[in-house]
Amino acid sequence: MDIRELKRLENKRKMNKGYMWALFCAVLWALWYIPGTIIWAIPPFDTMWVAIDATHGASMATIIVAVLITAFNALTVIIALLVWNGVLGKFGEMKRTLTELHPCSKWFFLASIFGGPIAILGSFIAIGFIGASFAAVAALLYPIVGSVLAWKWYGEQISRRAAFGIVVIMIGGITIFVGGAIADIAAGGVSWIGYLGGLMCACGWGIEGAIAGKGLDIAEPDVGITIRFIGENVIWWIIIIPIVALAGFPVVEYAFAALNPLSILVLGFAGITFGYCYVSWYKSFPLIGVGRGQGIANLYGLCAVIFLYLFFAQVPPWTVLLGGALCVLGSFVMISEETGDVESIRGD
Amino acid sequence: MAGQRPIKFRLLELFSDEKEHWNNEIVVQIQKEYNMNSNFGRDSINFDILELASGGMLKSVESKVDEDGVYKKGFLLHKYAITDFGKVRASDACLEYV
Repeated sequence: MDIRELKRLENKRKMNKGYMWALFCAVLWALWYIPGTIIWAIPPFDTMWVAIDATHGASMATIIVAVLITAFNALTVIIALLVWNGVLGKFGEMKRTLTELHPCSKWFFLASIFGGPIAILGSFIAIGFIGASFAAVAALLYPIVGSVLAWKWYGEQISRRAAFGIVVIMIGGITIFVGGAIADIAAGGVSWIGYLGGLMCACGWGIEGAIAGKGLDIAEPDVGITIRFIGENVIWWIIIIPIVALAGFPVVEYAFAALNPLSILVLGFAGITFGYCYVSWYKSFPLIGVGRGQGIANLYGLCAVIFLYLFFAQVPPWTVLLGGALCVLGSFVMISEETGDVESIRGD
Repeated sequence: MAGQRPIKFRLLELFSDEKEHWNNEIVVQIQKEYNMNSNFGRDSINFDILELASGGMLKSVESKVDEDGVYKKGFLLHKYAITDFGKVRASDACLEYV
């Protein structure tokens, strides 16, 4: 075998590794919707919702409970990530990267703003107001945001085929949102905040991916994702939770009440699935690019619908199924291009 | 300073002399500097080089099969050089480089 052929094979192996990480991400991300759904129904989050509903109404109750759940989600994710880095022996690299704020860590802190209080909170809001199936499928639009930003911002190449895939995903996303809204209007009411939550995840995760791609040029993915979650924990536990508490909501007392075995178990499962899905997401970007990484990770939508049916017998409406199928089809179109000759995702 | 900066910074710094370097030589140097002498450490450093190349900061200018097992017998060895984009990212990450 000549060198050229060997290089092509090596490159293909590298791309396959990137796709494998993105696929891990899809499965773990989908699994996360199981604890993400259960957590609303267990103490103290169920009684917290009832208590806030009595004083501030149902919408405010859902948002405040979503804030506390998201904060705990960030906490269990960072524990999972610290275990991961400990096993890989990367604490030294983490310290070195963390102190390089200017060229490096700032990107991950910025990513944590879009990923945490926008995307993950948006996802929990969508779960709380509309349901996990909707939340899972609504975020499927995010690769459009991520790919377009990565292309415009730092020249990551998007092939004609990838662009076509994006259009298919976009049609799928519109089907999900407009179809759901029309059905809600016909039923007499629209959970606008739930749809806003869905849009928050699509935009938040897309922007986060593009920003993370920039940071990952010069940082290791395992370390980068951990710094990103350190940032998110700071945002929740040092900034937002104290502000919500000062606004008169009983978040601190319910935060202590959440330290019971059942919620620790469910939150722990959320931390493991989400933490490692994020590791896989970040590890795929340097190998196959933000656009392709997000495209294949989008298969989480399909996996989530399957898991939610298996575990909760939740059957989504036909608009979600059709829109989800289009998004998955679009993801396949995006990633089905020939990659054997692509040495750099920037095409230099 | 050796062993003090994130590994990808140091890699870019080493390539900032604008000379071509074989990946196995760079891996051995980083292993020494960062005290990463296990096989896991070796592969992890090589993966960082691969990521830099994949991100368009390094480009492979020559390849050969590792017949003698200097890195891993039968694997491809690559001689890399920094790209213009790599120089931009290096100047961002390594203040020494202008």
